Amino acid sequence: MGLLALGTALDWPDAKQQAHLVRAWGIKQLLEIWNKAKGKERDAMLWGDEIEYLVVNYSKDEPKVLLSLRQADILKALADSKTLKVTGDCAPGTEANADAGNVTLPVFHPEFGRFMLEATPGKPWGIDFKDLLTVEADMKLRRCIAKDHMLSNEHPITLTTFPRIGSPGVFTEPSYPVSGPKLRSQFVPDEIANPHIRFPTLAANIRSRRGRKVQVNVPVFRDENTPWPWKDPTVNYDLHNWPEDDDVRNGAAPDNFIHMDAMAFGMGSCCLQITFQAKNITEGRKMYDQLSPLGPILLALTAATPVYKGFIADTDVRWNQISRAVDDRTPEELGEKPLKNDRWRIPKSRYASNSTYISTDSRLRPEYMDPNLVIDPEIKQQLLDGGMDDRLATHFAHLFIRDPIVIFNEDLQELDLTKTDHFENIQSTNWQHMRFKPPPADNSIGWRVEFRPMEIQITDFENAAFSVFIVLITRAILSFDLNFYIPIVKVDENMETAHARNANLEKKFWFRKNPFPVRTTRRGGSASRSASGTSTPNSGSSRPATPPLGPVEDEYRLMSVNEVINGTAYAKATSKEVTEDAEEGEEFPGLIPLVESYLDSVNMDVATRCGLARYLDLIRKRASGELWTAAKWIREFIAKHPGYKKDSVVSEEITKDLVGAVIEIGEREKRGLGIDDLIGQVPDLEKLFGGFLKGKSPCGGGQAALEQKLKDDDAKVNGVKRKFNEEQ
Amino acid sequence: MTKLILSTGNIISGGPSIVRKPGASNLELVNSLKVSFQDAQLDYADEIENLNANGTTKTTTTTTNGTSNGVHEATNGDSNTTDPVAGPLYWTAQDQKNNTIFVPRIDWETAALSEERSQYDITVKIFFLPTTTPDVSRRAQYTTEAMELVLKELGGIPDVDLLVVSFPGMSFDGDCEWEADKLNASQGDDESEIATWQAAVEELHRQGLVKRLGISEFGTEKLARFIKRVAIPPAVDQINLKNCCNVPPPLATLAKEQNVELLVHSDCTDILPEGTLRELLGPQGAGLLADPATGSGGLTGNLTPQWVIKYTAVVKNRGVIENKGYFAGAELN
Repeated sequence: MGLLALGTALDWPDAKQQAHLVRAWGIKQLLEIWNKAKGKERDAMLWGDEIEYLVVNYSKDEPKVLLSLRQADILKALADSKTLKVTGDCAPGTEANADAGNVTLPVFHPEFGRFMLEATPGKPWGIDFKDLLTVEADMKLRRCIAKDHMLSNEHPITLTTFPRIGSPGVFTEPSYPVSGPKLRSQFVPDEIANPHIRFPTLAANIRSRRGRKVQVNVPVFRDENTPWPWKDPTVNYDLHNWPEDDDVRNGAAPDNFIHMDAMAFGMGSCCLQITFQAKNITEGRKMYDQLSPLGPILLALTAATPVYKGFIADTDVRWNQISRAVDDRTPEELGEKPLKNDRWRIPKSRYASNSTYISTDSRLRPEYMDPNLVIDPEIKQQLLDGGMDDRLATHFAHLFIRDPIVIFNEDLQELDLTKTDHFENIQSTNWQHMRFKPPPADNSIGWRVEFRPMEIQITDFENAAFSVFIVLITRAILSFDLNFYIPIVKVDENMETAHARNANLEKKFWFRKNPFPVRTTRRGGSASRSASGTSTPNSGSSRPATPPLGPVEDEYRLMSVNEVINGTAYAKATSKEVTEDAEEGEEFPGLIPLVESYLDSVNMDVATRCGLARYLDLIRKRASGELWTAAKWIREFIAKHPGYKKDSVVSEEITKDLVGAVIEIGEREKRGLGIDDLIGQVPDLEKLFGGFLKGKSPCGGGQAALEQKLKDDDAKVNGVKRKFNEEQ
Repeated sequence: MTKLILSTGNIISGGPSIVRKPGASNLELVNSLKVSFQDAQLDYADEIENLNANGTTKTTTTTTNGTSNGVHEATNGDSNTTDPVAGPLYWTAQDQKNNTIFVPRIDWETAALSEERSQYDITVKIFFLPTTTPDVSRRAQYTTEAMELVLKELGGIPDVDLLVVSFPGMSFDGDCEWEADKLNASQGDDESEIATWQAAVEELHRQGLVKRLGISEFGTEKLARFIKRVAIPPAVDQINLKNCCNVPPPLATLAKEQNVELLVHSDCTDILPEGTLRELLGPQGAGLLADPATGSGGLTGNLTPQWVIKYTAVVKNRGVIENKGYFAGAELN
């Protein structure tokens, strides 16, 4: 979440009147920074991760686990780094913190949910490979410090969603009545949201703009004893507090779907986001495009969200629920009514997969672009007139079809070109799976790209593994000049596919067959290269310098996550659920082999390589099905629980035991103990983690690297880096 | 005697040859050379055709007398395209003064780094091959020659950051890293390795051409003996472990004491065997060598690979590999 300015937030009818002004000023601010920063060069590769936590109230003796709504108090304790306590488990010399004196303390941020917390490293990471191994230790330190500033029965956990949020009865501490004026939800109280005026306003104005409550409907998982058709038993059809209470009487809660009606059900999910600084705008635009097709693959691979509102869902990931939870489109924009007052039909929510490619790469074919893209032509013209190229102007003219949701009256006095607040207002409420971020107004940091689709994982080991993997993939993309382009509509389709239960193993995704660049000839043109490298040279025949491109449809095919991650050969040997259908000459090398090829070409010490190999191993095994996703593990945990009646209901007792197990895993990880003693007590842990998390890492690379890192720390810290983090 | 300089050009964005295969291997080099030869043959193919069309030369493929026929003359690395071109060697270039053939031709103009030297971390690794005698003065000559090519290829840079030396007959093989370390103690040839280091390698460091020196596949005992006898101890020891988490503890301890960084690599020491090179250049490969069956084709004589050098330029604070490639030297007698 961005900067939380204070002021008087406008209610929707007033905000709507000012939307045009905010957009106009936002575009002026964008052009200002674009002109200032378009020539920015040679920024270092810096990156940062964001970990989001749920804070739960749990003790073995209490019958229930509850969401803690003490966010404000916890943040207050954490806010001032001068008094930030680094004691107890996190103190210097302990497992979680080898030498706190030199560690840059993490930064904690509020999130939408009042039961949430976000933590970022105190300064961004570089690309010194030893840096990559300190990420995990830093994540553990963050969790440790967070815990130390909570009550003894409060715990930060990294489940994507709380299994029983919005269930009847008490699920928060303290508890509040539902059906408040802001959210008007029949399942969650207004107090579920961060009380900072921005958040309730965001929720209320989305509802108000939409003309009804948001509808977050997730298909329910049909088990042996699940009544069918299934009618969500928690829906109250007799509520008459607000006009929106009519929604469910008008069909908002269809059969066989878990029905939710508030932003908190989506924006209350935790994810793992990574932001990269590019060397210049060109590299940033390239990374944005090339990472985009990886989004759905990583979403499926990190799947961790099989439960909503006390029921098992038939989907594995959070994405569409967040999308629907912030969908502010009117019936006209949705195409349910003829366009009368609104300007256009809009095919996607503000929270959705990407709709644009923006790179200047000549390999970007027009056929890849979204044929249904909606843009504001006037805004595009302003950007073009301001000197922006067509492709980037199109991108921002697309983001700017949206209204600003939260407007502070104080900001409308005069246009301030030394700020980017109005631009950010629109930009930061376009939650696509990638985000292209211009430098801040003072141009102090570079162009950045944010990778947003991944689900948070239960342990910091896993979170570090996925973060580092994405970092390494970007280095391989840039070094090998890889090409993952497929049409945007295929990425959209993949995003839907990623939702399916067990999509990670059972579904296939569109992916580009040949990721390698076309070689350039000594005559300056390009020529295709045979993938096998064994074609017989034919010196007698002439060739055109640039062979005509084949049909776009020939460039991609369906692949399993296993094939994309591990390559065709590995997938053919290991896939059980699907058959790989690579034809001769269509073998895909695999993202992990590409990363390993990259690692082979740089100087790396054995301890670092060992630590990185551990991360790649985890991802390899998750992709091949040798290890389970968190979603699968949670499903099995519930299925095997003695209290489960095979009716899709996740009871308070099951929730408590699940959360209890997650807390136990976290405690052991924090102390570096390993989870061996939990195996047997907690079902299927070895399926989730395999041989990882066996206490101390076998080579101690992480620790050695951390020591080295700590020595280098002071020298590296500087204002620019700090600034980078604040901007995230 | 004719000298052959084989080159891959920049392979980093060159497609599938960079994808690693498990274990130590020379596939990257061999595949990259193959691709490099094929590409050059395709790229320069139209020269033959143009000449055919103009009727200025005969495209006989039966010229076998030595090396001059059909080979481009190289003057300062530039090919003289006005010369009659014919035969299977049209895609190479010749430096007649030094009796050297560049396979393929090298366009030095296009081979540079995009930013200034200080932005890069440049590592080179020279492989002395088992096919040559461990003659110190020849190795010094190989090293100088190979380094010159790399510096020129990377745009006339003055120096590199790290030079790693790979001696023949060394390995870190075995299912158990302890055993590999023991076995390693009796491999190679201490005397010639140390002599080479003193004569060929330390000198480059003294001249400022190389900032740091390294060796490859030295186990505990060899490393200990080596360090005792050289003036400039290696800053790096590259080892190739089956499981890189299992560094033999004595090696780890020694490395730490002596400030030697243990780096990972996956090259094999016998990176360009004679048979492999003959296949690459032979009638079934690039067609540079004459077909012994018919006596037609191209060059004749005994082919001996002498050295291989690998270079890698990584943009320091971005972790992006910008240039990577190989040169190899061979002798045709």
